[in-house]
Amino acid sequence: MKNPQYLKILFLVLSGVLGLLAGIEFWELRHYKETVVVSEDFTEKVMLSQYLPSLKNTWGDTPIYVYDSGVPGGSMLVLGGTHPYEPATSLATYVMMENIDVTSGKVYIIPHANMSASTLGMLGNAYIKYYHIETTWGQKKFRVGDRNTNPLDQWPDPFTYVHYPSTQNLAYQDIRNLNRTFPGRPDGTLTERISYAIMELIRNEDIDIFFDFHEASLMYPVVSTYVAHDRSMDISMMAAMMLSATQFPMKSEASPKNLRGLTHREVGDFSNTLAILMETPEAFIDRVVGRMSEELMLEGKDEFLQTAAEKGLVYCDYDIYEGFPDALGNMIIGTPMDYRVGRHLSGTLEALNWMNQFFPDKAISVTFPNYVDVMNNGSGHYLHDPSKADPSRVFQN
Amino acid sequence: MLVLMDTIIHYFYFVMAGFFAILLLKNLFKRERRKGLVYDIVYSYVIMVFILRVIGIK
Repeated sequence: MKNPQYLKILFLVLSGVLGLLAGIEFWELRHYKETVVVSEDFTEKVMLSQYLPSLKNTWGDTPIYVYDSGVPGGSMLVLGGTHPYEPATSLATYVMMENIDVTSGKVYIIPHANMSASTLGMLGNAYIKYYHIETTWGQKKFRVGDRNTNPLDQWPDPFTYVHYPSTQNLAYQDIRNLNRTFPGRPDGTLTERISYAIMELIRNEDIDIFFDFHEASLMYPVVSTYVAHDRSMDISMMAAMMLSATQFPMKSEASPKNLRGLTHREVGDFSNTLAILMETPEAFIDRVVGRMSEELMLEGKDEFLQTAAEKGLVYCDYDIYEGFPDALGNMIIGTPMDYRVGRHLSGTLEALNWMNQFFPDKAISVTFPNYVDVMNNGSGHYLHDPSKADPSRVFQN
Repeated sequence: MLVLMDTIIHYFYFVMAGFFAILLLKNLFKRERRKGLVYDIVYSYVIMVFILRVIGIK
């Protein structure tokens, strides 16, 4: 039996309306800009394409914020948003950027290392698009992105991803994973070119210490951990011991030599910098959790994960009812955003402290809010009102 | 050169998405098999996926 034409047109129009409604949401996320009010020590903003011109006018290009004290010292590069679905990383860089005081040396901060990946949601996981942070002047809205580069910007994926230059075979989708494409190549895919441009930044600016912020699921062994390249092991071991004794539990692991493409391995191998990756616990990305809500993202409380924790299946402290104590006596319930942001901030400061002691010629003197500050006042306390700030210090990402 | 080739392949996939959108549209209105109402609905919404890709939304 042939169906009437008007019914086909009706279905097409109805699908078009649904497509339009969904399309508006996709478009909004792709084009939503986060605002940052940089601190008074801000020197200049440059684009990553300065280090690889083929990135210009692509979604792989991303801002680099430079804070130059003008006083001789070492240099530091911090990456947030290598995996945008680990949003405490970008938020930690924003808290840093809005409050940093550099008295010697030079600091480079990239809040969205993979800008393209920050412009779409995680396929199939019903992820939230945004999260909101309460500040003293109102709510501030941030994107929650994907793990990998947006397929609109890099597609198709190969059947097998052959990592360059090791030729190691990796999962096909990891060709869009910024933390599997280092050290990159200038004529590779978009993600490989982002990696290469970051490597060029490190080599050209002679970066002394490099931090790559991440978040991990609690059922992943490498959680609440520094992962350090061979040359950075002393720093990360000492910093982890100090943090565990004085602030929060922190582990330290050596970067595996046979797992290629990751920053803690390739950045150290292909430059002279001291490469360190940091992982905080993010319950939101654990496979066993229930509803993927903004509350779960911000508070990290999930009853299924609690059951997993009670059965010894997680690799860090976790308790959604009574919490667990940190070294300062705070009871940490779930994995709240402030806890994760504070970990990254103090994790950076402590590693810097040890680099300054091991390599006095590379010393960098910086201050910004740490774990104690963020746990006491909240991350939002350190985010400034763009409407009341000097417009020359307000930027969008 | 490799970047250019990569870009050409990337845009070729957008063209392919457009081709499949037109093919599905044709089959929505003119097809020989599976003429039930439910197939009209399936064709209608599957087309949208390809259209969203062609116009660079998703």
